[in-house]
Amino acid sequence: MKELLQSLPVYIALLAALLNLVRRQWTLNLLALLVQFVCVFPVLLRVLPLQLALIHPFTGLMVTLILYLTLLSVGGIKAINLRVPLSSGEIFRALTGIFLIATLRVFIPQLQQSVFPTVPGDHLFFSLGLILIGLVQMGTIREPFYLAIGLLTFLSGFEMLYSALEFSYLLEALLVAVNLLLAIVGAFFIVKNTESELV
Amino acid sequence: MNNTVMLWLVLPVLLGLGLVLLQRVSKLSNILGSLFPLFFALLAVLFSNGLTLNLLGRIFVLDDSLLVFGRTIQVSTDQLGIIAFFYFLCFAWNLLSGLFKVSKWFTSLSLIITALWVSVQVINPFLYSAVVIELIALISVPLLSPRGTPAKSGVIRFLSMQTIAMPLILMSGWMVSGIETSPSAEALIYRGALLVIAGFSLWAGIFPLHSWLPMLTDETHPWIITFLMTIMQIGVAVFFLKFLNQYAWLRNLEEIKLVLKWIGGLCIVSAGVLAAFQKNLNRILGYLYLSGTGYIVLSMAFQQQGWLELLTLYLLPRALSYWVIGYVFSLMREALDSEQLDFAELTGLILRFPLITVLLLCSLLNIIGMPLFSLFPAHRIIWSILASESLPIRLLIGVGLIGMITLFLRILAKVVQPPEATDQDKNERKVLIVPVSLIILFMVLGGLIPHLFSAPLQNLLISFQNLLR
Repeated sequence: MKELLQSLPVYIALLAALLNLVRRQWTLNLLALLVQFVCVFPVLLRVLPLQLALIHPFTGLMVTLILYLTLLSVGGIKAINLRVPLSSGEIFRALTGIFLIATLRVFIPQLQQSVFPTVPGDHLFFSLGLILIGLVQMGTIREPFYLAIGLLTFLSGFEMLYSALEFSYLLEALLVAVNLLLAIVGAFFIVKNTESELV
Repeated sequence: MNNTVMLWLVLPVLLGLGLVLLQRVSKLSNILGSLFPLFFALLAVLFSNGLTLNLLGRIFVLDDSLLVFGRTIQVSTDQLGIIAFFYFLCFAWNLLSGLFKVSKWFTSLSLIITALWVSVQVINPFLYSAVVIELIALISVPLLSPRGTPAKSGVIRFLSMQTIAMPLILMSGWMVSGIETSPSAEALIYRGALLVIAGFSLWAGIFPLHSWLPMLTDETHPWIITFLMTIMQIGVAVFFLKFLNQYAWLRNLEEIKLVLKWIGGLCIVSAGVLAAFQKNLNRILGYLYLSGTGYIVLSMAFQQQGWLELLTLYLLPRALSYWVIGYVFSLMREALDSEQLDFAELTGLILRFPLITVLLLCSLLNIIGMPLFSLFPAHRIIWSILASESLPIRLLIGVGLIGMITLFLRILAKVVQPPEATDQDKNERKVLIVPVSLIILFMVLGGLIPHLFSAPLQNLLISFQNLLR
């Protein structure tokens, strides 16, 4: 039971990342991104002290806020509609994501043993899962908002993995800067695209 | 500001941010944007013999390190050569940015980007520079994708590639930590080398991961993209030298030389073949960069006596060739009032814009590495070393060169072809004769007297002590 509870944030975050990969509703995607960032915290807490584990979810909150305010300014925030049927593209992305996550789950023990012996299994599964979903997101979409989400998911996974390997204040500061700049670039793209659509 | 880190890293960033506030006063912003990098370049040259300077009886002494987040960042005397070179590049591009319709952010962001490329060379541990390169890619976005147009595929792909590269480089450092003390860890060495090569391939847009390069050159103003790509190509190359200098396991890996030769060869052949069939000058610019990357990688592959000198000999003429190409493409863009620069628009160009056409042809001959021009001496050395290489590598380089010559001949045929419509006015500015003549003279002088370019850069790569042995 305790193990299940410990793994719960991992599965919730991966589900949120999958939701971002599949669904194309800005409000829903922002919420999922927020959930993904928040769920990182309990997992990070197992390898880092509280103050340091707080950095990543806090940066995530800032990133989500930047994207939210941008979407709000361009009129992109609408009520979530869960009844929209899945399109063929969405089904394809969902199946791809589930297949990748399932394959990763199967190979995690071998990966852990041969490459990352110091990283806990759940932690490794979570970080590599985010990296894979982020890569699929980057490869399958051209829309800037989803590209930003893909890049943030990918980076989030990498930061998780790296934090279990080694920690440096300088690196952490640089990665926070990258995350915030990425959100600003995403916001810049959203505004640009909206402007050019108006013209 | 009596610290090298503050002077060449922090102050330029602050001044760049200050220029952002001045962007409404474009003339002042352009003037300051040119003067600041020139000041930093000259200062780096002045201090390159020691961090003490006696000026008019006053003695200025600089500290060479600064503690940031528990890590020491150090800018020592032997790194000032490359720092001066980076700021000189920024000066060269900012100097003429006022002549073209480039983004109003250019002068400020170019200064910040240059300072960040300098920081890439000095951050300790040097692997963390990978994150700074990602920051540079993100900061470049407003220049690569100006407002008023939707985000295009090139910039999106560029961002994705740069982001994927960063973790690979960081992981390579962790993967091989402690490898120096366990010489039997061959599998780890190969894994680490693979990560390093993959990371750098993504950064530099090496074949077959180069698709973003022609897309990006097609989407962006030539003056902006030539600056960003030139400083990036040189910055990434010097950063790779740092890897070779720092990691004995990578430097001594026999296979790395073979891999570099093949990467260089494939870049040159793919650039030559793709450029030979291309009908858009903007995209051709991307292939010229791909070919340039190929030659730089190739010059790194021959790790024998004097190879660093060869690379040093290569950097300034290469940068000059990109500057000239950027200048002539920007002139054509303004003269033809076209963003596309398709081959169809080049018909009879020599009759309408003879000076621009002559500069275009000379700059192409220069960048291909033809005799008489500044890139020829370095290319000649690489070609002569290649004579003793395996046949496939020689074939790749040969085909690449033929492709580039074909491209030149196609452009030549197009520009001398009489135009169908006869009402095209000849409206070239006569004042262009001065810069065009000077540039051609400079390119030819660089070819005839290679020492002209190599002498100022003699100590450029002196900080790579392990590679000089």
